[in-house]
Amino acid sequence: MNPRHVFLTFAKELREALRDRRTLAIMILLPLVVYPMLSMLAAQVATGREKQREERPSTIALTGKGPSRDALAAEVLKNTTIFVLLPAGSPGDVERGRLDLLVELDPQDFGKLTMIYDGSRDESRSAEERLDGILAKSFPDGCAPRFAAHKRSVAPQARLGGYLLSKALPLFVVLMVLLGAFYPAVDVTAGERERGTLETVLCSPIRRFDLMLGKVLAVAALAALTGVLNLASMAITLIQILRLAAQNVVVDIPWGHAVLSSLVIFPAALLFAAAFVALGATARTFKEAQTLLLPVYFLTVAPAMAGAIGEYQLAGIVAWIPGMNITLFARDLLVGRATWSGGLCTLASTLLLSAAALAAAARVYDSERLVAPTPRRLRASGGAARTTKAGDALVLFALAFLMLYFVFLPIEQRHFASGLLVAEWVGLFGLVWLFARMSGQTFKSALGFARPRPRAVLGAALAGCSAWAAVAIFSEWILPVPKQLLEDLRKSLIPTDGSRGVVATLLLVAASPAICEECLFRGPILRGLRTRLGAVASVFVAAALFGLFHLDLYRLIPTTILGVLLGFLALESGSIVPSMVAHFCNNAMLITLASLHLDRQMETLGHRALTLVVVASLTLTAAGLALVRGAGHKPEV
Amino acid sequence: MPGPLAVLDSASKSFGDVFAVVELSLSIPGGEIYGLLGPNGAGKTTALRMLAGLLAPSYGSARVAGHDANTTFAKRQLGYLSGSTGLSGRLTPREVLDYFGQIHGLSRVEIGKRVAQLAPMLALDVILDRRCEALSTGERQRVSIARAVLHDPSVLILDEPTSGLDVLASRFMRDFVRAERARGKAVLFSTHYLAEAELLCDRIGFLHHGRLLVEGPPSEIRGQTGKSSLEEAFLALTEEPGGAP
Repeated sequence: MNPRHVFLTFAKELREALRDRRTLAIMILLPLVVYPMLSMLAAQVATGREKQREERPSTIALTGKGPSRDALAAEVLKNTTIFVLLPAGSPGDVERGRLDLLVELDPQDFGKLTMIYDGSRDESRSAEERLDGILAKSFPDGCAPRFAAHKRSVAPQARLGGYLLSKALPLFVVLMVLLGAFYPAVDVTAGERERGTLETVLCSPIRRFDLMLGKVLAVAALAALTGVLNLASMAITLIQILRLAAQNVVVDIPWGHAVLSSLVIFPAALLFAAAFVALGATARTFKEAQTLLLPVYFLTVAPAMAGAIGEYQLAGIVAWIPGMNITLFARDLLVGRATWSGGLCTLASTLLLSAAALAAAARVYDSERLVAPTPRRLRASGGAARTTKAGDALVLFALAFLMLYFVFLPIEQRHFASGLLVAEWVGLFGLVWLFARMSGQTFKSALGFARPRPRAVLGAALAGCSAWAAVAIFSEWILPVPKQLLEDLRKSLIPTDGSRGVVATLLLVAASPAICEECLFRGPILRGLRTRLGAVASVFVAAALFGLFHLDLYRLIPTTILGVLLGFLALESGSIVPSMVAHFCNNAMLITLASLHLDRQMETLGHRALTLVVVASLTLTAAGLALVRGAGHKPEV
Repeated sequence: MPGPLAVLDSASKSFGDVFAVVELSLSIPGGEIYGLLGPNGAGKTTALRMLAGLLAPSYGSARVAGHDANTTFAKRQLGYLSGSTGLSGRLTPREVLDYFGQIHGLSRVEIGKRVAQLAPMLALDVILDRRCEALSTGERQRVSIARAVLHDPSVLILDEPTSGLDVLASRFMRDFVRAERARGKAVLFSTHYLAEAELLCDRIGFLHHGRLLVEGPPSEIRGQTGKSSLEEAFLALTEEPGGAP
């Protein structure tokens, strides 16, 4: 062995790898950003569901007569926040989900009771645990227990087996299908480009949509095959385990339901194939496609994971959230509680999103980006000066997120005001300033700072002052914030001890974020994305990053919608100033409402009043946007 | 006399604020080989891609057989081949030809007949059922030629088709192009091998920084510039005051 040659090769390979920005992004930035973000969102889902479960009272009914029943009823009535005592019930009601817990009391033997619950239903298990806790506390220390409880689950063994499987199987299947779609999608898009076969296909008389549909269906077939094979492998493994532990097994595996639940593989495969092919189509190389798809892979996992751990019902808006509804529908099929409406919503939303992704993919294949020379080659042959690129936008987001998560958030948790100030002015404003310096741009050009027309500022102020109402009502409808969390947020914004006045709060929570967050998100991030994506796509991606940056599941929807509005204001006006104004107005309105306790009054509004508020809010926002548009388009950003 | 089969009419193409081709006009009738010459980055590939319907001209127009180059009709009349054209390595030449033949609207029987016709001409018989990834560069190029002419197009666009080929394969390609001309095809041929263009082309156009400097038969261009070879003529035409071309 020649150590020098080994070292030389080591140094050469390392140099090459470190000069590849994509490798660095995948190796360092992605895990550092995605894992904390996902774990934080997952924790918030779990906490939020836990709080909602705590807030939901369990329905309970008692059967039998005598002193034993009266004593237990008295105990239950002491806890009206967690129990609703129904006058009657039967084991059938528990099984059908009409009742969470039925308690049968023995009229002959005081204190002897049987708790009848459904072991395959979380609400019923929770009711049983709650009553258990009450009974344990219902006698003084040192005394004999007053009640001797037996427990009986009405869930058939097969349903119990389905319940246990439903905790892991749907998520596992979704993950496998995702994995199965990943590499084929990269291969049929960027792989084709790298192999040099793309030009030949594109100049053949085949419509781009037909071409993309063929590719998506091929990827979907491979992804579905991966899902089916994994499911089959799991089933065989399970059979082996059950055979080995036959005498200890207390549950049955509902094979029929398991096979039925595997049907979700096909819509999932179609959805993921369409999304991955659409994204892969924008990549120039195999490596670039992998870089683009990996974050999407994680983001796609997030709703599926939320569905698996959040114990949501497949109803209302949840039934329309792609990925999440697939996991939930598979779960419902497994436990035998699937509904036609849930299934249809899942299918419809999956097909709609797949169609949208397919249309986007066909559009990308229509664009000249696939065969046009790369920007680097154009610059080499005498092109434009250094500008912010899409890669810069993503790196800036990653750096801002890392600083927030690892440095400023801990400071904020100790001292809210100073932590927030440092996070905004150092972590965002300072970062953009440093980026402008390092990339050889002026701060103004990095931001897209231009003097706006007065009408644009006026329109932005109107939109900022009015949009919050519709956004808040819509968000609350989709993902209601648990009351406790809402109260905590109010306290952090408006301290009840009077330690910070309204003006100081406006400066801290409205003015400072309006300047600093806009500097980053509607500055280099939006401008950078715009070099790679269309106007609408770049506004939506920048808004999604803006929403994620707030690191709060319950603020994800309102901040993302606000981000979309702010992005359009920046693009329409050709300046970052109107988006700053609108951002300030939005935050200022929310602070003013909270300080005057008007937000609590909004919670009590009836259906008709809420509709009126939404209509008024949307009308004023539209008027504001029209003013900005009318002020003149400056395609500068 | 039938009209020209491939036409660029004052076509310009810009990417952002950089113009790759500026007001280029070409007109190629059937039975002619037109050579588009120029150094790397001159705009040859962009010009050919406009005619192949891969890029839309920013200004002006590109037409094949009288139709906009980006229409299905135009694409059915077109055979496109470039030096960097790849083949799906995991497919066999027969499978590649079958796929493209069907896309061009040929039936399985028609494809079979056409392959049987082309195979001896292009020496494909022994490689038709081997995977493309196992073929040599020359063999792959012959398969690509078969793919480009399978549907018997009236216009052939060949973008540096001899790039990377050895002497024999290059000669084979030139012979093939001449044969296609004899069959009445319009051939647009780009290369930066000036000697090759001189041997092959009926007319040539010199492209430099996206602009057509001169156009005509090779002998006429040599005469205009007073030089004995195309290479010298090209250097004389592109020489800038600073000395560098």
